[in-house]
Amino acid sequence: MTGSKPNTKDEYPPCKLACPISTDVREYVQLIAERRFEDALHAIRKQNPLPRVCGRICIHPCETACKRGDIDEPIAITALKRFAADGPWKETVKQTPEKALSGYKVAVIGSGPAGLAAAHDIALLGHSVTIFEKLPVGGGMMAVGIPAYRLPRDVLASEIKAIEDLGVELKTSAAFGEDVTLDGLRAEGYQAFFLATGLHLSRGLNVEGEDLPGTLKGVEFLRDVALGKPIAVGKRVIVIGGGNVAVDVARTALRVGAEDVLIVCLEKREEMPASDFEIEEAREEGITILNCFGPKRFLGKNGKFSGIEFKFCTCLFDEKGAFCPRYDKTQLKVIESDTAIIAIGQAAGLSFANKEGISVTARGGLEADPVTLQTPVENVFAGGDVFHGPRTVTDAIATGKRAAAAIDCYLKGKPLPVGDSTETPERAKLAPAVIEKTRKFSRCSFSLAPTDQRIKGFGEVTSALSEELATKEALRCLHCYLGARIDREKCVSCLTCVRVCPLGVPTTSKMGEIAIDPFACQACGMCALECPVQAINISLHTRGKIAQDIEDAVAKSQHPKSQYPGPLIVGFFDLHGNFSYSDVQDLGRDYPNILPVMVFGLRRIDTSDILKAFQYGADGAFLAGCPSDVDPFPEAREKTKQRATHAKAVLQAVGLDEERLEIFDMPNHGLVKKEKIVELIQRIGTMAQARSE
Amino acid sequence: MITTEQKKFEEIEQMTKGYNRLLVLGCETCSAMSFAGGQRQVSELAVALRIARKTAAQEGEVLEDAIARQCEPEFVDLVMDIVADCDAVLSLACGAGVQMLAERFPDKIILPGCNTMFLGVTEEFGVWSERCAGCGSCTLDKTGGLCPIARCSKRLFNGPCGGSQNGKCEINPDIACVWQLIYDRLKGLNQLEKLQEILPIKDWSNSFHGGTRKIVREDLKL
Repeated sequence: MTGSKPNTKDEYPPCKLACPISTDVREYVQLIAERRFEDALHAIRKQNPLPRVCGRICIHPCETACKRGDIDEPIAITALKRFAADGPWKETVKQTPEKALSGYKVAVIGSGPAGLAAAHDIALLGHSVTIFEKLPVGGGMMAVGIPAYRLPRDVLASEIKAIEDLGVELKTSAAFGEDVTLDGLRAEGYQAFFLATGLHLSRGLNVEGEDLPGTLKGVEFLRDVALGKPIAVGKRVIVIGGGNVAVDVARTALRVGAEDVLIVCLEKREEMPASDFEIEEAREEGITILNCFGPKRFLGKNGKFSGIEFKFCTCLFDEKGAFCPRYDKTQLKVIESDTAIIAIGQAAGLSFANKEGISVTARGGLEADPVTLQTPVENVFAGGDVFHGPRTVTDAIATGKRAAAAIDCYLKGKPLPVGDSTETPERAKLAPAVIEKTRKFSRCSFSLAPTDQRIKGFGEVTSALSEELATKEALRCLHCYLGARIDREKCVSCLTCVRVCPLGVPTTSKMGEIAIDPFACQACGMCALECPVQAINISLHTRGKIAQDIEDAVAKSQHPKSQYPGPLIVGFFDLHGNFSYSDVQDLGRDYPNILPVMVFGLRRIDTSDILKAFQYGADGAFLAGCPSDVDPFPEAREKTKQRATHAKAVLQAVGLDEERLEIFDMPNHGLVKKEKIVELIQRIGTMAQARSE
Repeated sequence: MITTEQKKFEEIEQMTKGYNRLLVLGCETCSAMSFAGGQRQVSELAVALRIARKTAAQEGEVLEDAIARQCEPEFVDLVMDIVADCDAVLSLACGAGVQMLAERFPDKIILPGCNTMFLGVTEEFGVWSERCAGCGSCTLDKTGGLCPIARCSKRLFNGPCGGSQNGKCEINPDIACVWQLIYDRLKGLNQLEKLQEILPIKDWSNSFHGGTRKIVREDLKL
């Protein structure tokens, strides 16, 4: 498979394209919509070693890229990931190494997201892994940087436990370069090393008075709070910095006794690197932000910090776009305060580098190949913040995963992976006509605790989606690139697809060549069903899958009739209905003779599908549509009715009573009303019996 | 396009009864576009036949296949093997397709599953109407592009009859009187004088009256 390979990324859904670890978001969102929550978590776990963490603190570039965002609001992917990863089924979704132990030993230095991800993947590949962590707790910045109100410690602990369960050993309070060294580890039989030691120091301002008693450093402050060390902040606190760490510091200060917290940064509001939603949450908690000011000097009284004199920042970047703040020194402002916390950047503690012969870049990070992550020492690899600078948890996981793959190759003497060098295509845009024709549904995401409760402590500020809301949210997914594909060999240019598409996506040339924009198509299935020559394939619930589901449903029911007396009835249910996983379970338990076939929209069910149920041995069938207010394609409802009417006529013609088939809407809650089922079983049962006699 | 319509199920069931191994053969061009004989309708009819046979306890198997056009020998020959393996073929093509099958498979029972309707246009999805009678001598230049042979219930060639009322045909008030349409269109085109022209006698020898029709192109023949 070399040479003219098409760009595989061309057909990545935007969410996957935007994700640093190329998570197949679409897959697990679809599984949630199908109420297959355990399968959804399996799908996440096979790609992401820290789903419960990412379901809380990922900055979700996938949501920014989501196609739904062009129409109303993006899918709440982070909240859905948390829903899938947090549910009670998480206890049963475990991963096991695929291969027997290889005998190779790998040491991972640092237990942050990069280290954990690498350890996870290396263990799955069958190698022994030990993680050496300098701090007394595992998790790196996830444990001592990200505050517990955003990432509860028990959640992090469960994620680390799941990785330890793969056979990974975690040794805490083991500082690299002091307690453990490369030579020592080599002597113990370790053959490869992954360094992901993070950025656990704060950068200074280089401003007069910044070391006065009463001034603190952001990273150290967060770490001390996390480790339960005594903290002294005054009532008035100024936080210097405009990034996510500064916001975390400010919100943490509020939770350890500060009453009046002010963030001061050089950036304008819209230039602040912190995420918008975090700034908003901080503001709700009463934190104020002063933009476009930088410290000129720290003021002291009686040898203690007492306030800061700020100067106005006129411009942040030079002509070349490099960071180069310029000030108007005539615009000064003095703000009195009890405590200052400086959170303007992080730095790596690299005291081990010299001793261990590890190369350091001019920027103060570890030197490694950007693709293979191999350092100049051939069995040492590096990743995470200490390699790429301060980035997100997901970026760190990405390097961990890449390093794992490289280390595996290294150990086996294979060439190191060259990486995916395919160019990332630009995200396509939706045509205004498609946007207009797409039905809008409001987004269901995290809900936030009331601010007065939030600031009382370190309890988690967001709460998870309920099953009902998670399902509803997952059903908003537009199934990018799972839509219609034309089989050119079969297409006869009949124009049916052009005529029936509810979004107006298919177009034709003068010579009858039909084009369907795969990004604009939302996989509703109308064209694939209506096409008279069946020249359109659709990836979401293919025509073949539906036929197979019907056959399987009936085949599964080939039970001894005495066990489940009564007629066999195939029920086509629209997944868009307001029903829960337990509704499906209950139906199967209480009425095993109802054989459910679940589809994304009854519009996918053709007359022949209904008839197939009878061909395979069902005595009756029904079509249960979702309530019209939740149907993404209400214009297709009439078509479904037409097909059912036609199917009734055919049934009558082949000698079966048309009353064996019924179409109705599902109730506002649940799959189908009990009385309805009882009535159907009674009616169809009588017909089937009359016939067999 | 040539439009077709699937026969009533009862008629199909009756004519196929007794042929245990039955092939339902679709035609993927005109008949498919008429939603009478493409792969989709082949599947639907085959399922219905299977249910009917199951309830009647008839043995045998209903097979499905389709070719691009049953009116072309090369396509027809591609299903030779499956045809050989069945007792009868139910063709969902137009009459031309059915006959081509009969010609290529002289030993096989070939049955028509569709009625061939007319040469027509798609008015809208699911609605087709007749436009051309295939008379072999087109005079649309004289009648404003509207054909009185295909579209007048009496196939009148010399203006409307007395049954034309308010622009509608006396046969059915849903049918427009084509002579009214011709008049209106020519008026709109400022060509009403065309209706005053004396038309030469139409040559009907190219139509049915000349016997079975055939086109032989000496310039094309291989």
